[in-house]
Amino acid sequence: MTDPMPPAAPSALAAEPVGPAASPPDRPSLPPGRWIRENLFPNARNSILTVFAILVALFTYRGLLNFMFSEERSWIAVRTNLRLMFTQAYPEHQYVRVWVTVGIVMVLAGLSAGIWARWGGVTLKRLMGWLMSGGGLIAVGVLIREPSVLTDAAGETVRDDAGELVRESFAAAMADRWVWWAVALVLFALGLALWLRFDDLARRTSEIPVAWLVFGLPGLLVASTWVIRYGHYAFADGEFIAEPGQLVAMSTRVPWTVMWLLLIGCYGLGRVARERAIASAQAAADASDDVEVAEEGAGGEGAPELPRGALAKTRAVVNLAWVLSPFFLYWVVMRDPEIDYAHVFSTMLPMGLAFGVAGSAVLWWLTRSDAGEVGRLAAIGLLLLAAFHWVAAFFGWYSMLQVARIAFLLLAVAGLLAPNFAGVAAQRRRLVGAWLFVVLLVFYGATVINAPSTIETPTDMFIGGFSVTLLVSVLTIMLSFPIGVLLALARTSRQPIFRVLSTVYIEVIRGVPLITLLLFFSGVLPLFLPDGMEIAELAAAILGYTLFSAAYLAENVRGGLQSIRRGQYEAADAVGLTTTQRTGFIVLPQSLRVSIPPLVGQVIATFKETSLLAIIGLFDFLRMANSVVPNQSQFLGVRREGLLFISVVYWVVAFAMSKYSQRLEQRVGLGQR
Amino acid sequence: MSTQPAHGDATIAVSDELAARDDMIVCRDVDKWFGDFQALSGITATIKEQEIVVVLGPSGSGKSTWIRCINRLEAHQSGQIIVDGIELTNDLRNIEKIRSEVGMVFQQFNLFPHLTVMDNITLAPIWVRRKSRPEAEELAESLLERVGIPEQAQKFPGQLSGGQQQRVAIARALAMEPRVMLFDEPTSALDPEMIKEVLDVMEELARSGMTMMVVTHEMGFAREVADRIIFMEEGEIVEVGTPHHFFTEPAEERTKLFLSQVL
Ligand SMILES: Nc1ncnc2c1ncn2[C@@H]1O[C@H](COP(=O)(O)OP(=O)(O)OP(=O)(O)O)[C@@H](O)[C@H]1O
Ligand SMILES: [Mg+2]
Repeated sequence: MTDPMPPAAPSALAAEPVGPAASPPDRPSLPPGRWIRENLFPNARNSILTVFAILVALFTYRGLLNFMFSEERSWIAVRTNLRLMFTQAYPEHQYVRVWVTVGIVMVLAGLSAGIWARWGGVTLKRLMGWLMSGGGLIAVGVLIREPSVLTDAAGETVRDDAGELVRESFAAAMADRWVWWAVALVLFALGLALWLRFDDLARRTSEIPVAWLVFGLPGLLVASTWVIRYGHYAFADGEFIAEPGQLVAMSTRVPWTVMWLLLIGCYGLGRVARERAIASAQAAADASDDVEVAEEGAGGEGAPELPRGALAKTRAVVNLAWVLSPFFLYWVVMRDPEIDYAHVFSTMLPMGLAFGVAGSAVLWWLTRSDAGEVGRLAAIGLLLLAAFHWVAAFFGWYSMLQVARIAFLLLAVAGLLAPNFAGVAAQRRRLVGAWLFVVLLVFYGATVINAPSTIETPTDMFIGGFSVTLLVSVLTIMLSFPIGVLLALARTSRQPIFRVLSTVYIEVIRGVPLITLLLFFSGVLPLFLPDGMEIAELAAAILGYTLFSAAYLAENVRGGLQSIRRGQYEAADAVGLTTTQRTGFIVLPQSLRVSIPPLVGQVIATFKETSLLAIIGLFDFLRMANSVVPNQSQFLGVRREGLLFISVVYWVVAFAMSKYSQRLEQRVGLGQR
Repeated sequence: MSTQPAHGDATIAVSDELAARDDMIVCRDVDKWFGDFQALSGITATIKEQEIVVVLGPSGSGKSTWIRCINRLEAHQSGQIIVDGIELTNDLRNIEKIRSEVGMVFQQFNLFPHLTVMDNITLAPIWVRRKSRPEAEELAESLLERVGIPEQAQKFPGQLSGGQQQRVAIARALAMEPRVMLFDEPTSALDPEMIKEVLDVMEELARSGMTMMVVTHEMGFAREVADRIIFMEEGEIVEVGTPHHFFTEPAEERTKLFLSQVL
């Protein structure tokens, strides 16, 4: 990439395409004047359209700026309520939990970014473009925004005799905005400096890792809070604090600095691990076969790829941590269980042990190679027994802890799976191990869920705002994905009963408005639950969203399933794969990658649809901006600022997801051709 | 338990064995319908261990249908198909057993496009034969060597030529260490210059003692490599014989007509 190229004279460079071999074929770039003439004003009609479009854009831009900078705006409402909007009334002395959560996400994000390092780069040329057009845009904004309203010594707006607001003169306005001029100039100058400094095409098309930008800009922002006096606005102990000209509060500055350091540190760790893996794979390849490596080296250009299979364990652990973290963090944020140890030692522990030991014995017996039909019958017997407990619970024949019913059911499922693990000792041990793990998980979960939380808060729902939006969307997406895939498989299965059930489910759900489902799950569902079982409002909402989203995901996956040619099924059958293996290794991977765009679309839709949570009484991000902040005595009726702010946050997240999906598509498309 | 007709006619049932010991594939009166249309009628044939049988016949004569019945990609409705002593019934265990004994190569290759060549080959040995990954990879490397493309292991199928893809498909089938290989027109989707590389691999395979059943339009291959040729038309076996007999003195009118068209 950085090969020295004969430096071409800047003037010649624009018109002349570069030599074929030296650098990647670049679209021959036209000088700006000609580009504008050819693309924007090629003929009368297009010129009119261009002028019209520019005018529309300018007016929109001006309107937005006037809105944002109007003296009526009270952005202080947003600044003061930032915490409230993100985590609602989360108790101050427990706030460290929130930071732990953010910290874990940062660690994982840093590690993943470092290990996979798939972010690609931004060419210098584009960076220069961004800088210069950013500067230009700000300059234009400064010019077109209307002059500010004059205020008198007391801070009141000045009105003329007719009652109209008096605005400062244009010249005064321009002078007043010197900070913005400076920002615009700096950006533009930076771009220009880069442009002049890197004056040959090869260097202009060289890339800066996106990671630098993604980590660097927040880093700059975090660092600046230590220097620049952004002002301190907050609610603390029910008091409204407004201290312009102060540094941002320590309780914000310090954690964010730590977060950024965690992110960057873990990124570094990941990078180091990656470089090592590449180096050792290279060394191994060098040692084994020189010729082959030379050939591959010539083929693969650019950044060295992580060799296949390298770091497999680390990658698996990081991936698993990503999958499990939402469920774990849910507990970190939501609960501080007050565990009743007497109950644990008298009931939960012995019961868990009993299920662990007895269940292992049963499974060990069921996986004997000669268990045969007797084994199958025994497993079915277990299933009937488990089902009976649930029926009994429904009619209230006898009481039994819910966790025991669940454990019986899980044991029955394991029993039905047992023939797949029969015979080989290693396989049998694996099944028993899995069973013990499940027992541990279930009994631990039951203990923690049933324990009351010690987090005390002024309101019943102490978590709200963006954190609820995020929590519900992440859990919904993670839970609905497997369900959606199963539904899609069922709908395309050869078993008519599966097909009918799945079709009915999907069509019913798709025919019902989401809001109805949510109301049903938050209001009606609790009435259907057996005695002694409660479900948190938030969990009910997540359930509703999950069932809804699963139906749509299923349809997207089904589209992918239908694109798999029959030959793929036949080839998988012909090499002797079982139906499950065929589905898991051949059919699903191919159909999921076909359905990435609609799947991501559905994920983004789910994220935005969490704003309906407000209707069932939860305090989500939208509700914070729309009703909580405007009802505060200091900020009565201040609504539009908050709405604009949350729109930007929603947009940033959705845009990031859609960008990520584009990258994902490109990557999995690799080698497909 | 009697074993007297060791090389006898397989249509005569051997008292309590399903087939003679060295009969690899035995078909008895196999019928197959697609709805009302009878695609196979009364197919009776035996393929012995290490035998190379080429199946010829005009388009639509049921060659693919027959070969696909042998590893249960299609189910036959009546008659018996016995592979390596195991009868094909609706019993899933028998089907799985037979599929892991029988390798199949398709006209359209049917490689798994999302897996590398290496993964295409090792998938089944690892998950069906329960081999360890290093063991499976070693096997895959030796097979790629055998089919002449050891350097392509890390590529994806889409990056290979047709001939290379078909050779990978052969390696994939061989990786299961099958007792029989079925080929359904393995060279029909290939450009002429790639046909030879695939036929060479098949010839080498034949010389190594593999039992093979090959549907093909390559008369040269049939003449040189086949031990026996089976000629089919309209779902029936019309004539069976050695290549010499078949190409020089065919008995049936229909065979003569077919030969006059293709030669
Ligand atoms: N799935 C199916 N449903 C209905 N009819 C089928 C099906 N598959 C094959 N047939 C019919 O069965 C007959 C035999 O088909 P088969 O594919 O076995 O022929 P073939 O000898 O392999 O021909 P070719 O040389 O063209 O491949 C044909 O008439 C075909 O139309
Ligand atoms: Mg055919």
